[in-house]
Amino acid sequence: MSLFNRAEVIDQNFTRWVAAGEFPQAKTVISLPQNDILKTDLISLFESQITSRHMDIFARQLKDSGECFYTIGSSGHEGNAVFGKIFSIEDIAFLHYRSAPFYLERSRKLHNSTPIYDMALSFMASSEDPISGGRHKVIGSDVLNLPPQTSTIASHLPKAVGTAFSIDRAKDLNLTESKLANESIVLCSFGDASANHATALSAFNTACWISSQGGHVPIIFICEDNGTGISVPTDGEWLEQNFSNRYGMEYIKTDGLHLIDLILKTREAEKACRLNRTPIFLHMKTIRLMGHAGSDVEVGYRSIQDIENDEYNDPLMHSARILVENDCLSKEEIIGLYEKKREQITHVFHAAVLRPKLKTAKDVMSSILANKHVRSTPKSPSSVLRKKVFGKEFDRLKYPQHMGKLINYALTDILLQYPNTVIFGEDVAQKGGVYHVTADLYKQFGVRRVFNSPLDETSIIGFGLGLGHNGFVPIPEIQFLAYLHNAEDQLRGEAATLPFFSEGRFTNPMVLRVPGLAYQKGFGGHFHNDNSLTIFRDIPGIILAVPSNGADAVKMLRTSVREAHENGRVIIFIEPIALYMTKDLHETKDGKWVHEYPEPNNEIALGEFMAYGSGTALTIITYGNGLYLSLKAKKTIESKSRKKIKVIDLRWLSPIDVQKLMKSIGPCKKILIVDECRRTGCHGEEIYMKLSQSSNKALDIVLHAAEDSFIPLGVSATATLPSEDSIIKNAMDMLNE
Amino acid sequence: MSKKRIAVICPGRGSYTRDTVNYLQQNGNSAKEHIEWMDEKRKDQERPSLTKLDSQPFRTKTHMVGENASALIYACSLADFMSMDTDHYEVVSVLGNSMGWYTSLALSGAITLKDGFYLIDTMGSMMKDEIIGAQLIYPITHENWKIDQKTHEMVLSKVRESGSFVSIKLGGYIVIGGEKKVLQKLSKNLPTQEKYPLVIPYHAAFHTPLLESISRSAIDIIDRSIFNRPSIPLIDGRGKVWSTYSTNPRGLRDYTLGHQVLNTFDFTSSVTVALKEFCPDLLVLLGPGNSLGGVVGQILIDNKWKGLESKKDFLDLQASDPFMLSVGIPEQRKILKKN
Repeated sequence: MSLFNRAEVIDQNFTRWVAAGEFPQAKTVISLPQNDILKTDLISLFESQITSRHMDIFARQLKDSGECFYTIGSSGHEGNAVFGKIFSIEDIAFLHYRSAPFYLERSRKLHNSTPIYDMALSFMASSEDPISGGRHKVIGSDVLNLPPQTSTIASHLPKAVGTAFSIDRAKDLNLTESKLANESIVLCSFGDASANHATALSAFNTACWISSQGGHVPIIFICEDNGTGISVPTDGEWLEQNFSNRYGMEYIKTDGLHLIDLILKTREAEKACRLNRTPIFLHMKTIRLMGHAGSDVEVGYRSIQDIENDEYNDPLMHSARILVENDCLSKEEIIGLYEKKREQITHVFHAAVLRPKLKTAKDVMSSILANKHVRSTPKSPSSVLRKKVFGKEFDRLKYPQHMGKLINYALTDILLQYPNTVIFGEDVAQKGGVYHVTADLYKQFGVRRVFNSPLDETSIIGFGLGLGHNGFVPIPEIQFLAYLHNAEDQLRGEAATLPFFSEGRFTNPMVLRVPGLAYQKGFGGHFHNDNSLTIFRDIPGIILAVPSNGADAVKMLRTSVREAHENGRVIIFIEPIALYMTKDLHETKDGKWVHEYPEPNNEIALGEFMAYGSGTALTIITYGNGLYLSLKAKKTIESKSRKKIKVIDLRWLSPIDVQKLMKSIGPCKKILIVDECRRTGCHGEEIYMKLSQSSNKALDIVLHAAEDSFIPLGVSATATLPSEDSIIKNAMDMLNE
Repeated sequence: MSKKRIAVICPGRGSYTRDTVNYLQQNGNSAKEHIEWMDEKRKDQERPSLTKLDSQPFRTKTHMVGENASALIYACSLADFMSMDTDHYEVVSVLGNSMGWYTSLALSGAITLKDGFYLIDTMGSMMKDEIIGAQLIYPITHENWKIDQKTHEMVLSKVRESGSFVSIKLGGYIVIGGEKKVLQKLSKNLPTQEKYPLVIPYHAAFHTPLLESISRSAIDIIDRSIFNRPSIPLIDGRGKVWSTYSTNPRGLRDYTLGHQVLNTFDFTSSVTVALKEFCPDLLVLLGPGNSLGGVVGQILIDNKWKGLESKKDFLDLQASDPFMLSVGIPEQRKILKKN
């Protein structure tokens, strides 16, 4: 037998040792007759365990022939079949990649499911894979209530917490769109190494934070501890010492090699979580077999004795011992069953190899915006109701107001119209936000719909994603743009990818409000004046909105919420802080930057630009603060040059329809792009490139963007940014050429 | 050479027809002793023997009534099953349509062949005096045998409105069960398509809540100890696989005498699960006759199995390299038969 092909060694050891009756000793002493467990249940679990094992073995064989594309398996983790058995399909589960036995066992609850074939299609990346359509090997299924996870870095934990929170919140709000049963709980599994991730710690912390305040977070964190993170060992006591005494979370440990102990401890966890609605850390001690993945040569970093010791403790061998000891099956029957299952897997996998694959970019990308659960928009609230909720503000709706106030009005109407919207973030409730944009919403709608969060951006966004799994349209707020960067992966790796890897079977609708960008007066430093939107440029599927005035902000916010609600979209809504309270454009008290509150239902469609002026001598393309400055500059430019120009407000920065933009530019050949963000990686850079590529006429394009610098404090705060003067200068230079 | 892996499909109550008269006479030799035993039992019950029934000219009043049809079909299916060459074919799963579930139980070893007769005879004779409700059948496919979703939804909607029930999901057909009057009314509401909607003579509202009294009687009468673990995986009328070792006999009994009597029998799911979870080399349809041939073809097309997209694809495949063999078709019987 090969020293390197441990799959083969483990496979042969199983039949040899079972035949000889050489079983490993139990690590936990517990017997069947004392407990209410059917023998047929144990056999059923064992069937799922060996099915998963044969899948792992066969996947490796097919990988060698180039027919299978994923070899991170579940070997050693077969104990998680018990979780699949104990928990109801109603308990949504976010599973890590070693969860095939869980999946197989849960599938038994759905009689017409075809888990072996479906998983084989997933292994083979076939376009007929019923969850990802050939885009990734995922453990997922809409009918089994398993949102697919591709993450290997625990980034699914924060949303699992959000989903857990959403269950009781939906019940409290009588949310008709709730997808999860009132008594259900959430399962979330991950490995021992993943428990060290910042995202994981964020999730544990948030769950405990809520629980310690009496809030309900019915979640079981299932840590499948195989003692190794790829090649780095996890110290034997590390997890237990870390998690056995967390305030707000119960800790339960179980022997992942012992079916009966697993059943009893899982039942205990299930009962406590379902009843108390509090988080549980279920620590399953197990081993890892066959290395991290097919390409991993374990002997490079572990001694052969250690490897063989784990192989001797193969969970299948422990299960076989339990079956024999309890007269469930004879040794011969176990081997017979093992070989029969091998034959079945072989045939199913061979059939799956032949199934079609995604071929073109169009095929692959067809699911980026997919949504299989389109919802209709609720009716606008009646004027009677609006009057009641707006109170004394109702009469002020007709007066022009600055952007901060208008967004506040829009949020009020949105909370009224969409009972499934909730607003949360740091300081958004009683304080009404740093800039009072959420002022009074807490009073008007109560703590169940407007609430504060801990200051942890990862958990704020993850929370939103989780709420989206249960019918909500969350509207979280990140206090400042610069704070969002530490939570970027919640958007990039999780939010944006969910429709893609589930063909729209799952979506996580959300409107993420982010006050940001530069030009603040008297309040500064780069953390409050961050001027980079680069991280949003390349994430497929997300919408980036940057309104520049109050009326647009209201209409774009309405569009955003509707898109999230109807089509499951994720929208990043950037609110230029410097324009929140701005009232005037050209001179003091001209009132040209205040607007009346737009009539209900008045929206701005996705991708719709706004052109100011119709001149063709020069076109300025800009957004946000850039628009404000460009409009100020326009007057001077036209007066100085005696030429008419046009200023285009992009409004929506992702995606940008360049053909539409070209139409809006018309016959003009001189284009000045004013971008308040840092030059490198700014959206202006993208527009520059796309216009150059798309135009069939020679265009004179200048990108006037912020310097590649951080924003300093005080009077220097705008030194690196485009200004009214610098825009005039750039424009005049172009017009004078 | 390794054996061909086959999934065996047992037909239901409508399979013994005018065209299958003399089926046992021609094909029953493989199960001769069993048929003789059954004939003896029927003689004790003062019923005509299966051998005699089989040799008589077909009369709906005689051959389609439950107490005769069920046993006749069971005997034919059993004979076909026993005629197969087990040196060259390995049965990897067994399933059936409606009454065919009882046959499947016997062929898989979950009950003995004698208990199979006992079960089928008991269940088939339950409505000897009066049939409860009725069944009608209606097609939901385009001409190319692809499911027409609009028609499908229309039928389901009319079923719900009428107070009837989906009795069997049968590939490109829906079998509807309900009170006779309700079905008469429903028949008038369904657009006519050739001979459909078609009321199936001598069929009760099988697999609907109307049969609650039958289920209760069965649970009382049928000896619970007859149920065991199958020796071949069984697929029931929900698509659930009852595996060789983990089957709980009590669960099997509860399903057989309770759930499947009262709830929709999803034959489409049964076949789909057989295809996907076992990937057999061949599907084998037991006799009498070949009445499920088209239905199975429609299910293959629905799953795009073997790349089949239409009736023509299916017929072409069957003509060149058949994936489904019907023991009831003499040429195909030859392929499967012991020498």
